Amino acid sequence: MLHWMQYLRGYVKVKVWGYSTERLLNLCGNHDILVWDIADHGGYTTMNVSVRGFFALKPLLKKTGTRASVLQKYGLPFFMSKMQRRKIFAAGFVCCMVFWILMSRFLWNIRIEGNYMLTEDVLLAYLREQGVSVPMPKNRLQIAELEKALREDYDLITWTSARLEGTTLLVQIKENEMPDYEPQEEDAGESAGTDLVARRAGTVAYIVTRSGVPQVEAGDEVKAGDVLVSGAVPVYNEDNTVRRYRYVQSDADITLRYTDDISVKRDVMYDEKIYTGRRKKILTLGFYDREWDLKLGRIKYEDYDVSGEKTQVRLLDQLYLPFYYGTKTVQEYRMARLEYTEDEMEGIMRSEWNKIITTLEEKGVQITEKNVTIKKNETYWVLNAALQLEEAAVRTAAAAEPADAGETADTEP
Amino acid sequence: MESLKLPKDTMLGASIVTVTGNREAFIQNYKGILEYSTERIALQGKTCRLVFEGRRLSIDYYTNEDMKISGLIDAVRYV
Repeated sequence: MLHWMQYLRGYVKVKVWGYSTERLLNLCGNHDILVWDIADHGGYTTMNVSVRGFFALKPLLKKTGTRASVLQKYGLPFFMSKMQRRKIFAAGFVCCMVFWILMSRFLWNIRIEGNYMLTEDVLLAYLREQGVSVPMPKNRLQIAELEKALREDYDLITWTSARLEGTTLLVQIKENEMPDYEPQEEDAGESAGTDLVARRAGTVAYIVTRSGVPQVEAGDEVKAGDVLVSGAVPVYNEDNTVRRYRYVQSDADITLRYTDDISVKRDVMYDEKIYTGRRKKILTLGFYDREWDLKLGRIKYEDYDVSGEKTQVRLLDQLYLPFYYGTKTVQEYRMARLEYTEDEMEGIMRSEWNKIITTLEEKGVQITEKNVTIKKNETYWVLNAALQLEEAAVRTAAAAEPADAGETADTEP
Repeated sequence: MESLKLPKDTMLGASIVTVTGNREAFIQNYKGILEYSTERIALQGKTCRLVFEGRRLSIDYYTNEDMKISGLIDAVRYV
């Protein structure tokens, strides 16, 4: 504390020599001049004295017949006067401080964690809608509201946490791991009952009904949209006339068989970029969403790729600033027309075929028969596949009223 | 005097010397400095003289009321 006071007021280190330094010290004590760090160096003595004390020392020096000279000046007053001589430096320092303080009041970066199904772009666009975008003043940010809005507007998000770390807004979310995809359809079917309807044309290969009235048998041809199982179950009178219809949710295992022809055509010739090996590195600097390339003249290559990376400037790990730096690599290439060899073509065709099979499997389609041929030509190869497929191509639909329901399907007696 | 329980230093004008180890000495109640060098510091008390002897002696601070001496103190003598 005392040191701080001494520093703020300023003090000097003086060298004292002469007839009696002891007498000078006694006089200092009597005149309430604080002296400290007194050290004897044989011929002379050094001591520290405050600036005000130093001026009060003058008559005492005369009285005691000693002499004093300033060795060093310490403290804020001396520092300030030194700074006055270095105006530009001082101004720069102050500007720098002001700059950092102003910059740190803004949000410069948004980081999102924990999103798997919602992409970062979607969430950032949503945040922009909510008025959160970079750059924005930190004090306009309402974190609690933002968390709530995120939870309310996205059913998928079950938990949110937003917090500021330096100039970064860190949004952490947790997504519902088992979202229910079509809740409305089930709700609609609850009251009215549902039919099972063919999604595409084909032959019924297999049908086992658990609830509802089957409208087709195995072996029947159906068109897309035909009702396969009706959700309207008739309730009969004693004389075998229909009394009314009871609506249920139809449920059945049905597979439809159909044939499909798939053909894939691939050219033997292809274009490829061949990099000439000539490349250039360009330094880039960016501020916010602008970029400047540090290059001289234009790029002389006819065709070229540009790839690059940039890094955001940050302070102390979390304090992101709107400055970017990075490099761009420009690579020259020329287009070449090349020809696949026989082996390569076979490989390509095989991978195409595998792709077809896997996409069918992913859709839950079984292949019961297949006939694959490959036609070769000078310029292209064609893969033809005649497939017989089986698929549970059925969708649910609101139960249709039976044709004769008009007079009988009224309310219960 | 004893029965009044008054502080003895104020009544008798005695100096108070607090020595910490042999490195520091803190002195109150004195009149002034008589002699100062790195080997010897002599003070004038109200009733007697005080002499500190040692090596590398220096005065940390010096006011009218108290002072502090640091260094390697070998002896404190009352003359």
